[in-house]
Amino acid sequence: MISRRSAIAALGTGSLLAVTAACGSSGGASKGGSGGSKGPVTVLVLKSAQYPDQQKKWFTDTAAAFMKETGASVKFQTFASGADEQKIIQTSVVSGQGPDVYALGTTFTPVAYATKAFVTLGDKEWEAVGGRDRFTPATLSMSGPSKTEAVGVPFLSRPFAMAYNTELFSAAGITAPPTTWDELVEDGKKLTGGGQHGVAIGYADNFDPWKFVWMFANQYGDPLVAKGKASIDDPAVERAYQAYFGFLTQDGIVDPDAAGWSNPQALASFADGRSAMMPMTGPTAIPTLEGSAVKGKYAFAPMPTVPPGESSLPSGGKPATTIVSGDNIAIADYSDNKELAYAFVKLVTGAEQQVAYTKIFGDLPTNAAAAKEIAAGSKLLGPILEAGAGAVPTPFTGAWSEAQLALTNVVVQSRSDLASGAVPPDALKSRLAEAQASSQQALDRAGSQ
Amino acid sequence: MTETLGAPPASRGAPPASGGGEVRHPGRRPLWLLLPGGLLMVVVIAVPAVMAIWMSLVALDQYSLRDWLGAPFVGAANYVESFAQGRVLHALWVSAAFGVLTTLLTLPLGVAAALATQTAFRGRALARSLFLVPYVLPSFVTATIWRTLLQPSGAVNNVIGSLGVDGGQWLVGSRTFWTLVLVDTWASWPFVYLLSLAGLQVIEREAHEAAALDGASWWQKLRYVVLPYLRGPLALAAIIATLSHINNFTLPYVLFGSPAPRPVEVLPMLTYSTSFETFRFGLGSAMAIVSVLLILIPLLVYLRAVRLDTGGDGAPAPRAAAAGRGVG
Repeated sequence: MISRRSAIAALGTGSLLAVTAACGSSGGASKGGSGGSKGPVTVLVLKSAQYPDQQKKWFTDTAAAFMKETGASVKFQTFASGADEQKIIQTSVVSGQGPDVYALGTTFTPVAYATKAFVTLGDKEWEAVGGRDRFTPATLSMSGPSKTEAVGVPFLSRPFAMAYNTELFSAAGITAPPTTWDELVEDGKKLTGGGQHGVAIGYADNFDPWKFVWMFANQYGDPLVAKGKASIDDPAVERAYQAYFGFLTQDGIVDPDAAGWSNPQALASFADGRSAMMPMTGPTAIPTLEGSAVKGKYAFAPMPTVPPGESSLPSGGKPATTIVSGDNIAIADYSDNKELAYAFVKLVTGAEQQVAYTKIFGDLPTNAAAAKEIAAGSKLLGPILEAGAGAVPTPFTGAWSEAQLALTNVVVQSRSDLASGAVPPDALKSRLAEAQASSQQALDRAGSQ
Repeated sequence: MTETLGAPPASRGAPPASGGGEVRHPGRRPLWLLLPGGLLMVVVIAVPAVMAIWMSLVALDQYSLRDWLGAPFVGAANYVESFAQGRVLHALWVSAAFGVLTTLLTLPLGVAAALATQTAFRGRALARSLFLVPYVLPSFVTATIWRTLLQPSGAVNNVIGSLGVDGGQWLVGSRTFWTLVLVDTWASWPFVYLLSLAGLQVIEREAHEAAALDGASWWQKLRYVVLPYLRGPLALAAIIATLSHINNFTLPYVLFGSPAPRPVEVLPMLTYSTSFETFRFGLGSAMAIVSVLLILIPLLVYLRAVRLDTGGDGAPAPRAAAAGRGVG
């Protein structure tokens, strides 16, 4: 009789051995090719809070498909949050052991690239994962600093778009979603009144604010960071921030409570019908909306491409609405299961798997054929995929996480002004100067590497 | 063989005969028994501390993390940078103000609660248990509950809204500092309560009776009988509480998120953000070392207070201290 304790001990030893095998067995036997190393290949992915059971099933199904394909097993390991993942990556990078395959957020990929702890994909590697051609081109733009230095294979796409309440729109006599931000403000004013607001924005979210600022700045023609230089103290960026705050303070189309809202709270306001539009949202909002009061009464559209206060795109401006958003897959360079890891990546970026994944979780395919199939089959997702096809990559530099944090911090420190009704230009200028200084310093360190 | 067997009973018999540790020679103490514990301390405390100091002297970041042993040595540059930014000084100030204020608020609350449950009444056991609830809740849970309650349209604003007062934003702007102080006060006053309760048990019944016979009023009894007894425990509570407030990371992190609004950017938050969000482990370590120095101030006060306390108890203490010095 094996006691429960020894069974657990055996399990523990098993996983320990798996780790040691994964990091230390490079001795003489491994030959490469999926026959050489037998895995299991360990994959680190975000734990799905929304669909825990479906995710477990996806793990089992994918492992079975992988077993059929390669004869090797795959082990999934999950992390609960971005901070959790960073910790795992940090410890793995330092210790040279850990998961073989990582799902990385697109904006985090530059930092991961900077650690040089992930496999750079050459022609051979790209071929092993199914080739660059299978992906929607825009999704490849956050894979690496250049075509030849890519570390991330596009896995999932989560472009940002705008959700709008079709019922409230037709009640207000608005026939089509706005195409300029000034139009959006006009529509928003028509839709505001009687406890209802035109637009829902999560000013206190940890990520949304910098995406708005990045979008407006790009539309005005300021890329924020380019060629190792930050331009955050530029007047265009100040204008971007003021426009973003102005929706609440000047135009009055956002609920004043939104100064304390995170993204889910803003979404809840839209889902209750208390707000008529929700910019900077995407496919992952659909499950919430489908179970809400606005079910069947909403649609998506790409966000406007003409920045606030302009009637057409300024010269030098980019029609950017969404960052290249989603997940890339990267393979740890300490992995001794690289061939298996390539096979795994090839499997989960294949059209069939990607369509299945979208149907379960809502994240959109990076695989071009799968995206086409999904767009054809869903009226809701079509506009989001359209926005995704025009996505603009964020600067690919190891300093990006610092720049991003600095951009967010400007909003964090301005929220009290926002709540009180106006963000003083001088206060904003000094916050921008601080963000500029810390971003430039980070870029200088990146440049000296 | 017989000698070694015979020896222990003799030494075991000695202490009761002459009392105290008088006959023992310090040199013969079985100090080696401290070895396992000592080794553990080295592994758990000394090694990480030395690592932190080393990290604070190198440029350890996303570019050097992989080959971390080869991270370039930059001397005091991380310290210079952390002070040049101004954020560390600000965080030092916020941390100290937050720690001291919260402690000052929890002291009267804890003492009052201990006094209220000192004499028996129906339901005292229940009251005493309820008082401990905030203290036994994990910090994360406390913070999550309060974060929900303090939303713009949350329970707190609903209640004060029904009184005709606009609650406004609790988790945004300059009010965040007071939110943090109040929530931490709520979570930590039972600690003062516990120590006060322990202190109150020490007061002899005779002291109360004598005061009653002298016709002392309620206030006089509190001022001249109870509080002098509580001085020791409260001093201890104040120092330990201040240390734990200054070290509190979970509460501000869950309440306000990261990056923190400037009014609640305490040192642990700044250190976390620097190390784990921007990958600047060297700079973060320098900030952590600065935190340790800050913590050291109340800690030294505490250690000194503890020594004075034993010194006041009786004669053996100074000698023990002298002996300790001799051994060291």
